[in-house]
Amino acid sequence: MADKTKNSGNPALRPALRKVLPLAAALLASVIPPAAAAAELNIPVLVPVTGFLALEGTSQRNGAVLALSDAPAGLKVESEVIDTGTAPEGAVTALERAAGRGTPTAVAASMLGTQMLAMLPLAEEYGVPLVTVSGTASITERGNPWVFRFFPGDGVTKTAHARYAVEELGKRRPAVIHQTTAYGQSGQAHLRDAFAKLGVEPVFEEGVDPGIRDMLPVLTKAMAANPDVLILHLHSGPTALFIRQAAAMGITVPIVAGSAMHQPSTAALLEPAELKGVCAESSASPVSGGTPELERFTADYRATFKTEPDAFALGQYDGIRMVLDAAAKGAETPEAIRDALAKSTYQGLAMTYRSDGRGNMAHSAVIVCYDGASRVPAVVKRYDTAAPP
Amino acid sequence: MRDRVPWASSWTGIAGGATPALVLAGALVAAHAVLFADPYGLRVLTVAGVYALAVIGYQMIFGKAGALSLAQGTFHGLGAYATGIVGSQLGYGFAVTFPVSILVPTVLALVIAAPVLRLESHYFALATLGIGQVALLGAVEWQGVTGGSNGIAGVAAIELFGWRPGRGLPLALFVWALVAAGAVIAWRYGRGWRRLAFPLMRDNPAAARALGIDIDRLRLETFALSAAYAGAAGALAAHIQRVVSPEVLEFPVMVTILTMAVIGGRGRVGGAIAGALLLTQLPEWFRGWERGYLLLYGVVLLAVVVAAPWGLVGALERARRRWLPERPRPLPVPVDPGPRPTPPFRGPMLYVAGLSKSFGGVRAVDGVSLWIDRGEILGVIGPNGSGKTTLINLMTSLEKPDGGKLYVRGVEMTGMPTHRIARGGVARGFQMASLPPDGDALDAVAAGRAMIDKDPSSAAAHALHFLTLTGAADLARTPCSVLPPGSRRRVELARALARQPGALLLDEPAAGLTEAEQADLAGQIRSAAASGVAVLIVEHNMPFLLPLADRIICLDEGRIIAEGTPDAIRRDPAVMAAYLGPSHPEPAHPGPA
Repeated sequence: MADKTKNSGNPALRPALRKVLPLAAALLASVIPPAAAAAELNIPVLVPVTGFLALEGTSQRNGAVLALSDAPAGLKVESEVIDTGTAPEGAVTALERAAGRGTPTAVAASMLGTQMLAMLPLAEEYGVPLVTVSGTASITERGNPWVFRFFPGDGVTKTAHARYAVEELGKRRPAVIHQTTAYGQSGQAHLRDAFAKLGVEPVFEEGVDPGIRDMLPVLTKAMAANPDVLILHLHSGPTALFIRQAAAMGITVPIVAGSAMHQPSTAALLEPAELKGVCAESSASPVSGGTPELERFTADYRATFKTEPDAFALGQYDGIRMVLDAAAKGAETPEAIRDALAKSTYQGLAMTYRSDGRGNMAHSAVIVCYDGASRVPAVVKRYDTAAPP
Repeated sequence: MRDRVPWASSWTGIAGGATPALVLAGALVAAHAVLFADPYGLRVLTVAGVYALAVIGYQMIFGKAGALSLAQGTFHGLGAYATGIVGSQLGYGFAVTFPVSILVPTVLALVIAAPVLRLESHYFALATLGIGQVALLGAVEWQGVTGGSNGIAGVAAIELFGWRPGRGLPLALFVWALVAAGAVIAWRYGRGWRRLAFPLMRDNPAAARALGIDIDRLRLETFALSAAYAGAAGALAAHIQRVVSPEVLEFPVMVTILTMAVIGGRGRVGGAIAGALLLTQLPEWFRGWERGYLLLYGVVLLAVVVAAPWGLVGALERARRRWLPERPRPLPVPVDPGPRPTPPFRGPMLYVAGLSKSFGGVRAVDGVSLWIDRGEILGVIGPNGSGKTTLINLMTSLEKPDGGKLYVRGVEMTGMPTHRIARGGVARGFQMASLPPDGDALDAVAAGRAMIDKDPSSAAAHALHFLTLTGAADLARTPCSVLPPGSRRRVELARALARQPGALLLDEPAAGLTEAEQADLAGQIRSAAASGVAVLIVEHNMPFLLPLADRIICLDEGRIIAEGTPDAIRRDPAVMAAYLGPSHPEPAHPGPA
């Protein structure tokens, strides 16, 4: 059944209630002195929980659901999780479906860039803020005022990625292996720029299809270029496969992976020994601990979903919490929520969020590294880009 | 009493006998859309319309031509990309993007048709799948044009000469108006002689070719048309989604189209629409179950496939036949078509010189030369594996000879395709009478006239004439699937004679017949010969063949080892040695009786 968060009773009874409630409310209003009514919010969660992005999409879903489950006092939130699949068509249909039940106050929207691009025109038409953790750069480059990204874009994370390899590890001959998806192509472009700014040119660059099940050929080719660091920008499964095969080959060149590596579900695919010395960029690493608030989030997440949280869950959690915070402060309409997201600063669990004027809310990244003894990485470096004033 | 049988029932191309039920269902869906549907419902209906267009096209190559193309999703994606590039990047509107999106996949289909359409069954499927992989790779890697994995965003909404359907009901009506136009075009395309050609082409391509049907051309037509429909659907999808990304070229799109075609009812326009509506709505009904909806979706699909393997339209059709049986269609008045004009020639009706064919190291036919005069019956005998059927296949070009010449009515036809040889005047029968399983006997014989009359009514009237000649007029409305062996032979002979051939090649025509049926068949063959047809009969049944044939040749190991009158052949030591071994005493008849 649909995932109803903080809903108002049996869905089957809702049509009847809708007819009865106005009458009851009118009667009550005539005998009870006026009091502050609870603001009603409708925040559907439209994310991919099936298909190739199911793992990450489920994290996104869980983050949103956890945030909605503990709305501030005085807010009444109705929500429904709708799977968007991974086709653009699925996301637009899901948005139409959600909008058909009353214009949403805001939407927790898919992390898949092509789905976001398809939803943007409709969101603008309906006037609905989309709160997402999609990393695709172009979603905030189309001048659409209704999109808000609570995950650092490639401009932030890939700069941190390259800077760590060059400035901290002192490497000058990186080999870049990326995915051929939108995520991979965008990351590759930003890595190239970031390395160029640091005066470094990769000695090897190659795209890998997500369906490839053997990384040995690309690994062998990369090593033939004599790199001093392996820079990965792969999805979860391919990242784990690459690191396992590199460990099996006894490769000692350090690996600095993309954000997929920080996900506990990726680390779970590898033995701790295989992870020794591997680092990764991410926006955050909730399992690595930090503030008491972050640790409480991690504990709640584990208790609710019986799994480990990752940066996508945390980013979506922070985004929805910012929406709820704005609503609690009086922003009840989608327009008011949009304005609050566009103009306010919000201290989230992962970082401080503030829009750069285009809907990019996150401007920090961290580097985490594994010690070879456990699957929980430690944050070793934080990169904060100056948030816009 | 003259009617337009069998094309009077051409609406079966839409949905078989289920048309009234589907029209009613369609009217209900339309009424719901206009009166009650919310924007979400209209959106789903619009998406269903886009898929319906792609599936109507797919029914042509897959449903009608029987070729498992796995390129329909690719053509759909190319149409979408054409709209994305021409519309979003070059700034053209729907009036330009729509025709361009139809043109691009159609041209690609025509370009790749030459190497791909030659392939059979699974090789064809694999080749078309490969095209999709290449297109997907191109979309991902050719970033400057396609936007790479991010695709192309900002595709404009549909605007046609200043009119914008926007979204909601106007957009749904616009899309479904195009679906209706596409359905009518597809229905009209599948009528006439093609309605008779497609089932035969699908179930027995060799028989279709032997009737003069150019199935290569039909495949090309249907492949190109399917691509055009997919391109149109892709254009609509791009304008409606406002974004084009590589997902549109991925295999799940193809699987969706294929599933819609199968679930709806293979080969039927109505099936395409029913399948698209059901498979677009079904996941939405279960969407609230989050991850569980895919399981439910799969279970329902499996249930439909098990309960209605003929598809929704097929199931409706069967239900209608069961509960509301139709009255038998009236027969046309049989009409003798009269002799077909043929250019004058001298010499034998059919002449082969030095025909040879090897399969690997086996010499199946080795330098065989023979001729048959008009009105002559030539028997061909020989032990199993002596090359008799291969010889007929070479004479009809179902096998390509390694060497030798073929002349029909004095015209050299060596190496020509089967349908050209058939049109040149050669008709043939097969060891297993190959009649279309879904039609009746009149349809089967009318298919033999399809490339001669073109006018469907004339073909039916002429077909009934030849059924009457072979004593099978009473079988005209009997479904071919229930005909007993003797009747099947008679209908097949009527179909071959309906082509009014100069030469008739029959492969073991008496196999499986009773003695009475054999006698009947022999009489009909004599009648055909008496009318001037040159007849070649490959046969093991000597009591049937020896009294019937004017002359007999015996093959062994691909070569002619004896030739002469039946009496001479019966006593020929070489023939007896071929059948029974060199030291065997002389039997009454060579070979099995």
